[in-house]
Amino acid sequence: MAAEDEQAELEVEEETKANKTKKLAKHDSGAADLEKVTDYVEEAEISSYIGDAMRVVNDRKTKEVAEKHEKEKELSKVKINKEDVDLIVYEMEISRAVAERKLREHKGNVVEALVELTN
Amino acid sequence: MPTNNPLPPKENALFKRILKCYEQKQYKNGLKFAKQILSNPKFSEHGETLAMKGLSLNCLGRKEEAYDYVRRGLRNDLRSHVCWHVYGLLQRSDRKYDEAIKAYRNALKWDKDNLQILRDLSLLQIQMRDLEGYRDTRYHLLVLRPGQRASWIGYAMSYHLLKDYDMALKILEEFRKTQMPKPMDYEFSELLMYQNTVLQEAGMIEESLEHLTVYDKQIVDRVAFLETRAALWMKIGKESDAAGIYKDLCHRNPENWAYYRGMETAVQPETEDLRLQLYKDVLEKFPKASAPKRMPLSFITGESFRSHMDTYFRRAFHKGTPPLFVTLQSLYAEPFRVQMIEDLLLSYLKNLKENDRFDESEESEKEPPTALLWVYFYLAQHFDYQGDTKRALQFIDAALEHTPLLIELYALKAKIYKHAGDIEEAIRMMDEAQSLDTADRYINSKCAKYMLRGNLINEAAEMCAKFTREGVSPMDNLNEMQCMWFQTESAAAYQRLGRWGEALKKCHEVDRHFTEIIEDQFDFHTYCMRKMTLRSYVGLLRLEDVLRKHPFYFKAARIAIEIYLHLHAHPVTENEQDKSQDTENLTPSELKKLRNKQRKAQKKAQLAQEKQKAEQEKKEQQNKKVADGELDGPKEEELVPDKLAKADNPLDQAVRFLKPLQTHGSNRIETHILAYEIYSRKGKLLLMLQSIKRGVLVDKNNPQFHICLIRFLQLVKQKNDIPESVSLVLKEEMSKIYDDQDAKSLNELFLQRNSKSVLHHLAAARMMTELDDNEITQKKALELATQISDNITGIDISNCIEVLESMCRGDFGKCEETARDYQVKCHALFPHSPSFVIPANSQPDQILANGGTV
Repeated sequence: MAAEDEQAELEVEEETKANKTKKLAKHDSGAADLEKVTDYVEEAEISSYIGDAMRVVNDRKTKEVAEKHEKEKELSKVKINKEDVDLIVYEMEISRAVAERKLREHKGNVVEALVELTN
Repeated sequence: MPTNNPLPPKENALFKRILKCYEQKQYKNGLKFAKQILSNPKFSEHGETLAMKGLSLNCLGRKEEAYDYVRRGLRNDLRSHVCWHVYGLLQRSDRKYDEAIKAYRNALKWDKDNLQILRDLSLLQIQMRDLEGYRDTRYHLLVLRPGQRASWIGYAMSYHLLKDYDMALKILEEFRKTQMPKPMDYEFSELLMYQNTVLQEAGMIEESLEHLTVYDKQIVDRVAFLETRAALWMKIGKESDAAGIYKDLCHRNPENWAYYRGMETAVQPETEDLRLQLYKDVLEKFPKASAPKRMPLSFITGESFRSHMDTYFRRAFHKGTPPLFVTLQSLYAEPFRVQMIEDLLLSYLKNLKENDRFDESEESEKEPPTALLWVYFYLAQHFDYQGDTKRALQFIDAALEHTPLLIELYALKAKIYKHAGDIEEAIRMMDEAQSLDTADRYINSKCAKYMLRGNLINEAAEMCAKFTREGVSPMDNLNEMQCMWFQTESAAAYQRLGRWGEALKKCHEVDRHFTEIIEDQFDFHTYCMRKMTLRSYVGLLRLEDVLRKHPFYFKAARIAIEIYLHLHAHPVTENEQDKSQDTENLTPSELKKLRNKQRKAQKKAQLAQEKQKAEQEKKEQQNKKVADGELDGPKEEELVPDKLAKADNPLDQAVRFLKPLQTHGSNRIETHILAYEIYSRKGKLLLMLQSIKRGVLVDKNNPQFHICLIRFLQLVKQKNDIPESVSLVLKEEMSKIYDDQDAKSLNELFLQRNSKSVLHHLAAARMMTELDDNEITQKKALELATQISDNITGIDISNCIEVLESMCRGDFGKCEETARDYQVKCHALFPHSPSFVIPANSQPDQILANGGTV
């Protein structure tokens, strides 16, 4: 849905490109006037950038999300012992969630996890 | 709008008026309109109206009712963004930010593009440093309002804070293109400088320089521009260009030391003379500047130093500059400078007395009589700084004879007595100083501080009362003013008196100040964005992140932890008050007297309390009148000393104070020592290991830490029911730290490494007896600990007290005779200090007066 919007905005932007520069020149008194600028010009002008920038962001975001997802999946595959988690929680006085995560990051090796936690 | 039951037009109009009243802070009117809607039986359970009623009540300080109404409203209309938003606002006013964020998110479910809610949400997210959430919200706001510059700035900043510089720069650049700056446009200039900061942080030095060049004309903060450019040029090795700028800057402000330092590093003068010439050049143009006169004194040597120092001194004494010693104090690190200074001063003294001139010549003009006075004054500080109390007193007395009514002289005399360990005389002197000008707050505060050092807490509060608001107790007023030097010093005094509850109260008050300062940043999130002061804003955010690094917090936390450790071992029981006196060694008649006295004191205290209560009530009534305006944050739970002293879980309380120290003060060895002490009492081996590991990185030669190291080793050796994995961790990590040596040889090595320091001797000696409890070792250890000679460093009052206290505590078994000998020696060494006391009965495991934990 967002992608469609961008597409539409892009088209609008291309149509107005020709007279955009002229319009911009009128609004030459900076920030205060930005608020007063008519919606149409402002949106068209800025959305041109948003189109580009958002594509970058979205690409990156999808990638980030995918990577994160991958990592989480891998982590969740690791088998961990309940006793180990209990031990970490008791010894290090940290929350269960953090203890489990550390344990998974160390592939369930409780000694390694504890060594890192005592750093 | 997806609300469950929309109101008919008439009621809807009323509802709109409630909203308007809320915005204009006319809460009472708002309540009237709410009543009009709710009194109609058809709408008596209208969710949004109920919620708004609750919100208005909250602003009038009726917290409980507020929660009732808002909750009821929410229950009746779970699908209304208004109800959720109101619930969030309520949570926010109670500083439950996490809850508030959840409520806003729920509100957004029903109205995803509501600007107000999104803005409120973004504020909470930046406050809580949920940076990713903040970025997403700012994105949403940007899409909704691309015409507003705050949208762009906020979005860019979210990336900057996430260290995604590329994206931050892209957004800033696009935004900059839309800006049409006026001439001398400060806000635009700030935007450019912010952009430049991001470039620098991204490590793009060349681009950053380029950026400065392009926008040279539009940047109005010229000083920042020049400083940045010079620093950048230094980074890429264009020293000569940088040198030019630093010269410019020195001419702009010849008193800024940083510019001279920059100039020196840029020019890299090869000889002392060339280095000196840099300063002479500036001095020629600005003959009155003081920095170029003072700075060379730190590096020139030999005759050059003497002659420059001479000129410097003459000018200062002629004019009379009380803070002269403070400006020169850093020179005292090098003995040859001290010697030359002393020679100069003594020659002035002689000549001024005989000749009224600094030298023997008869040609120069006579000096005013004050010149001699300031030479006396300086000499007193000179000798005091070097621990020569006798001569310091001699000169300050000469000064007082010369000019008997000069406040500075009394203040200095007080200081000399303080350094000599005689706090009572110091207080007397400071009081004298203070009485000479009761309208001077500086001297008043100094006097109060000295009183606190002497445990005269009430007197100190009364002293401060001369400047605090009338009608309020000075303690309360000082707390309100966040006067932290007073509070940390009071806490320390209460601790010395063994009044644990009162001390804890002060510590908690300081902790609350820090919380409050963090809360206070809330208003800046909108303000700075609007005013474009972006560089300072980012600076503020970064400061708040490490706020509890501050020495005031450290002091308070340390005292609190020490007390909680003590309370863990000696809980205050139900009928036992904080006791400052020992009753065990008193004869029955003495005891009776004491009890009588206590009873009277109690009665008096009760009366005072009642009076205070009456005052409190009056105040509350006044507050209620004021409460029509917005209330400032939630009411905090009152801190009651008795309750604090009877904490159920002192160790957990201690951990609460410890945590910020671990995050922000891990470069201080005390942090890890305190952590070790807490966790050893909790019996958590791995957390003890953690503090040991961290401590080793900071300073493994610290005497107190050495004790932790040895004790931990012994503890692990003796313990046998350790879970297997824990045991493995311990083995692996401890072999790295201890190199598989045993405690005795470690102690020996430690002593060899630090064979010349009194505190290290003490620590090693204590461990010797702990490791090997027989008479021969005990004797050897005692000898080591009590050794006093010229080639041992650190023999000062507080360290000697520590040695003595250690003996009295029984660290070396029975050793009364040695203790008495040592006491005599100390008194001879520090004749002014009355503090070498051997208590009648020694209490083991006591937190000591000088703050050391056992």
